[in-house]
Amino acid sequence: MAKTTIRRKRGAVAEAKEVAAKLSPRDKKTMGSIVGLADGVVVAAEKRKDPAVDIPARTLSNVRYSPRKGIIEMGNSTNRRQLFDLAQAKAYMRTMLVASGCKKLLLQGKSTSLRGMYYMLKHTIEGTKENTFDDQEESDTIIEDVEVLLGSLREELHLYAQKKGDLVGNIIINDSSYDIDCSRMGSGGYGIPSIVEPEVIKLDPKKCDAKFVLHVEKDTVWQRFNEDRFWEKQNCILTHGGGQPTRGIRRMLYRLHNELKLPIYCVLDNDPWGYYIYSVIKQGSINLAYESQRMAIPDVRYLGLRSKDFERCQLSDSVKIALNDSDRKRAKQIANYPWFAKKRDWQREIEKMLKNDFKLEVESLISKDISYVTEQYVPARLEEKDWLD
Amino acid sequence: MLLAPSSFAGENRLAVKRSKKSTKRGTRRPISTEGVEEPKQRRRVAAPSTNGDGHAEDETDDSAADDIAETNGEATDDAPTKGPKRRATAQSMAAKQRDISVSEFFAKNRHLLGFDNPRKALLTTVKEAVDNSLDACEEAGILPEIWVHIEATGGDRYKVGVQDNGPGILKKQIPLIFGKLLYGSKFHRLRQSRGQQGIGISAAGMYGVQTTGKPVKIISKIGANKAAHYYEIQIDTKKNEPQILNGRGEGVEIPPGKNEQAAIAKHEIEWEPQPHGTRVTIELQAKFVRGRGSVDEYLEQTAIANPHVTLHYKDPDGESRDYPRSADRLPAEPKEIKPHPYGVELGRLITLLHDDPNSTVAQFLTSTFSRVSGQVARKICTTAKISTRASTRRIGRKEADSLYQAIQATRIAAPATDCISPIGEELILKGLHQVVPGEFYAAATRPPAVYRGNPFQIEVGIAYGGQAAMQHVTKELLRELIEETDARTIRQFLIHTFNGLGSEAADRILKESKLGTRQSPSGLKPKEAETLLAAMKGVNISEGQSMEVLRYANRVPLQFSPASCAITQTILGTNWRSYGLSQSRGGLPKGPVTVMVHVASVWVPFTSESKEAIASYPEIQKELRLALQAVGRHLGTYIRRRLKVKQQSDRRQIFLRYLGEVATAVSEINAVDRAALYDQLLSVAKKRTADADVKLDDRGRPIEDLAELEKAENVLIVDPTAAPAAINRAPTEPETKT
Repeated sequence: MAKTTIRRKRGAVAEAKEVAAKLSPRDKKTMGSIVGLADGVVVAAEKRKDPAVDIPARTLSNVRYSPRKGIIEMGNSTNRRQLFDLAQAKAYMRTMLVASGCKKLLLQGKSTSLRGMYYMLKHTIEGTKENTFDDQEESDTIIEDVEVLLGSLREELHLYAQKKGDLVGNIIINDSSYDIDCSRMGSGGYGIPSIVEPEVIKLDPKKCDAKFVLHVEKDTVWQRFNEDRFWEKQNCILTHGGGQPTRGIRRMLYRLHNELKLPIYCVLDNDPWGYYIYSVIKQGSINLAYESQRMAIPDVRYLGLRSKDFERCQLSDSVKIALNDSDRKRAKQIANYPWFAKKRDWQREIEKMLKNDFKLEVESLISKDISYVTEQYVPARLEEKDWLD
Repeated sequence: MLLAPSSFAGENRLAVKRSKKSTKRGTRRPISTEGVEEPKQRRRVAAPSTNGDGHAEDETDDSAADDIAETNGEATDDAPTKGPKRRATAQSMAAKQRDISVSEFFAKNRHLLGFDNPRKALLTTVKEAVDNSLDACEEAGILPEIWVHIEATGGDRYKVGVQDNGPGILKKQIPLIFGKLLYGSKFHRLRQSRGQQGIGISAAGMYGVQTTGKPVKIISKIGANKAAHYYEIQIDTKKNEPQILNGRGEGVEIPPGKNEQAAIAKHEIEWEPQPHGTRVTIELQAKFVRGRGSVDEYLEQTAIANPHVTLHYKDPDGESRDYPRSADRLPAEPKEIKPHPYGVELGRLITLLHDDPNSTVAQFLTSTFSRVSGQVARKICTTAKISTRASTRRIGRKEADSLYQAIQATRIAAPATDCISPIGEELILKGLHQVVPGEFYAAATRPPAVYRGNPFQIEVGIAYGGQAAMQHVTKELLRELIEETDARTIRQFLIHTFNGLGSEAADRILKESKLGTRQSPSGLKPKEAETLLAAMKGVNISEGQSMEVLRYANRVPLQFSPASCAITQTILGTNWRSYGLSQSRGGLPKGPVTVMVHVASVWVPFTSESKEAIASYPEIQKELRLALQAVGRHLGTYIRRRLKVKQQSDRRQIFLRYLGEVATAVSEINAVDRAALYDQLLSVAKKRTADADVKLDDRGRPIEDLAELEKAENVLIVDPTAAPAAINRAPTEPETKT
C-alpha cells in the first residue's frame, strides 16, 4: 500500500500554536494528549490500518487493592476500541467526538457540565436519521473513557458534574478569589462545586478553626445537624454528599484531610449502600480507580450507624427496614472486597447486619428524639472513640 | 369426419371410467369383445366408448333402470327364480331404449365440461375459444393475435367475443365446428395440442343457447380478398347437428372491400379489421369475477406460457389490458407420433387389430406402433406364441390378451421424444418477465421423458422479487406516476400502479405513511409524497405472502383443483428452505415468488374429464422435482448472494456513516485536511469490507459470483423497475397493430 501523508492546514497549525501559548501548563499537557490521540488516527489511516485506541479497563477485574497505600489502584489491562468493528464503530466515533469537544473547551478556556457536553456533541449524523448521542448516559461513559484514555482528569478536560453536596462550618474558603465564610451560610450551606482544584478553591490552614470534618450521607440529615448548630458546638466542618458522593465532594474531603490535616468522620445509613459509600470515600471506587490516588482517604472513619445501634440506642421495632435479596447479596459482595476482607470489625459488622436482617437509616434515631443524633449519638461516639476504621 | 366411437377407447378417461362402473354393476360381458364385434350398434353414449354402456342410459332414462333386467337387453341368466313381481317385460322396456345424442348427454352433464356454475362457464367459454384460436394459428404457422372482449348485456348475461388472426375456416366447416359436439381434428392423432376432444367451443355455444336463447355468432375470413362468412348457429341437441339461423339457413356472405366494416357492423357484431381470422361471439348466463379462477388470471397466465401470442383484453368494466408478444418466433411444430406399445391397453389393442385386418401380426406391430422394429415384433410374437405371419384377422380375444402380455414382457425402447414442443427456457424467461414483476428469473427445461409409453416434458420457470419494483421507485418517478394516475385514492393508485401489490400491502403502506385512505393522489403535497415514498420502501410487503404457482398443461393454464395436482404436490414436497426461501412444513414457501410449471405431452394425464389437475405418475413427479430443483438452485444462489451483498453493504454503510464524523472530529483536533483523511479512511473501510466479500457463505462454500450466475442462459436478472410488468403507467403505450 502506498503511504500518503495527509497535509495539515498551515493556517490552522499556526493558529493552534498561538492559542496554545495562552494555555496553562496543565491545559497544555491535556491538549498534547488530545492531539496525540487525533494524530494516531491520521497515522493509522496513512498506513491503511485500523485506527484503534486502547482504553484502560474500568472493571473490578482490572482494579487492585494496595494494602500498603490503602487505596484501590487501576490495573494494566485495556480494551481495544476499533473503528472498523461493527460493534465498536459508533463508540469509536463518539470517543473522537468527545476528544474534539474537550479540545474546543480547552481552546476557549471555558468549562461545561456533562450535560452541556452532551448537547455540544449531540447532532444528527449527516445523511442519516441517527444521532451521535441519544442519552446523556451515553456521553457520560464515553467521557470517562476519554479521561482514562488520555490520563486526564475530568476537570482537566474542562468538564464538571452537577453540584450535589453542601458544606458548613468554621472555615473560610477562597473560591474564585472570593473569601467565603462557611460559618455564615445560614440554613443552605456552601454548595461544594464540582471542580475544587487549587486553581478555583484555595484552602488556608490559618483560616480554618474546625478540628474535624463530619460527613453525613444526605441532605436531610445534614439539615438536622446544621439547624442544631452542631458544627458550632463541636467546632467542625459539616458536609453531605447527597448519597454517593461525587468526585467534587470526595476531592474536597481529600483536600480538607490532607491540606488542613482534619480527620474525617462519616455518619451513614446502616445498610450495604452506606457501607459502600464509606468504602468509596476510603479506598476509591472501582469505576474511577485511576482517581483514587487523589481522592481516596484511607484514614476516614465510620461513626455510624452500626448494626448494634438498634439494641444500643433501644430503638423501636417500627424503624426496622427488612433487607431484601439484593441487599443481602450486596452485603456479601462488600464483605468479600479485599479491603474489607481482612478487617475483623467490619466482617463482624456486616455479619451482624445480615443476622439482624434489617437495615437502619440515620433518620431512625429521630424516633428517640428530634435532636438525639446531634446532641447524643454523634458526640457520644466521638467521645468514646467508637468507630470503625 | 365423424367420430368413430371405438377409436381411442383405451385413452379416453371418460370411457374408462364408465366401463369400470358398468363392470361394477355386474355386467358379466368380457370387457372388450363388444367393441370389436358390434361397435356401431352401441353408439348410445355419445362419448367415444367401446365398452362403456348402460351407465349413461341409466342416467337419462331412469324409469328403465332395473337392476335385474340389465338395460342393454342382455339375457339375465342368473335371474332369481323367486323374486318380486315383474314390472315390465323385455319388450316394453325395449320400446323406451333409444340412442342418446352426445349433445343431449353433455347438455345434461355440462359440469363435465366445466360449466358447473356461471362463473366457471364464462371462464370455460373464453378458454375454449382462445385455445382453439391458438391451436389454429399455430397449426397454420401464423403468429397469433387474439382479441377477447367481454361485455355485460344486462342481468347476469355476458357477451363473449373472441377473435383471432388465424387462417379462417372454410364456409362449409363453420357450422360443423361450432355447432356439433365432438367434431374436430385433434382427437385422432397423438400430438401435443391444447384441445383434445373437440367438445369445448361447441359446448360453450350450446350452453349459451340454453341459458340465453341467443345463437352463436361466427364470422370468418380466409383471405384479404375473400368474402367473410357470417353465421348464426345453434346446436340441435337431439341430433347433435348445427342449425343455421341466418340467411335462410345458408349464412350470410360479406364481400370484401370498403363497405366490409359497415356491413359487419349492420349485423351487430364486432370485427377487428384483419385479412383473415375468425371471431366467435357467444352470449351466455355468467358471472364476472376477478382474482383466482378468473378470466383475467387465465389470460395473464396464457400470456406467460405463450410469449409468441399478443392478447388484447377488454373486460366488462371497459378496462383494457394488452399483453404484447415478447417473442416473434412460433414454437416448433409438434410432431404427430404413433402410439407406443407400452401405452396401449388391451381393449385398444384389439380395436387396432380390428382396424387393420389385412396384414400379418408382425406387420401390424411395426406399422401401428412406434419403436417396434421387425426384431422386436418377432420377439413379441415368440413370447406370445403367435406366428409372426398370422393374419390380424385371426387374432381373437385370447390371442390378443397373450399379445398384450408379451408386449409388457418385452423390452422396447422408449418412444421418440422429439414430438414434443416445449416453450423453451429463453421464452419462459421472456414470458415471465413480460407479465410477472420481479428482479430475478430462472427457467429449466428438462429433457423429455416417458410415462406409460407417452412422451412428456417438464418445464419450470421462477420469478422472484415481485414487489421489488415498488421499493426501487425514485422520487422523480413517483411524482410522475402520481401526476399520470387517474385513481381517486392513494390506495387505489398503489394497487393499480404496482403489479403484485395486494390491497393488504397497500393498507400497510398507508398506515405506515399515516396518510388518509381516501386522500387523492393529485392533492398530495411534496412532503406527503416523501413520507409515502419512505413508507413504500420501508414496509415489508412480502410478509405473509406465499409462493404463487402457475400450472400449465400443453401451454394451457390449469386454474382449479391445485391440491390434487401432481405439480402442486411436487412443489410442496420440495425443500425450498435450502434455496433461501422460508417454508413451513407441508406448506408453500413464503416470499415474493412465482413458479410456473409446464407439462407438455402428447397425452396429458388429467385426473378428471374437466382437465383441472395432472395425475401423479411417479415418472412425471420425478421430472417435476428435478426441474424445480434446477431453478431452485439458481434462486438459492441469487438470494444468498443478495443477502450477502446486503450484509456487506450494511457493514459498509455503518462504517461510512461514522467515518465522516471521525474525520471531522480528528481534523478539528489536529487540523489535518478533513477530505484527505476521509478519503483514506474510506479506502481502509472499503478494503476491510472487501476482505469480507470473499468470505465463504453460511455453508462454508465460496460464494459463486453473481456475474457468473448472470451469464447462465437460463437466468435473467433485471432492474426491478425496468420490468414491463412491474409498473402500470396510466397512458398505455401505443398499440402495436400489424
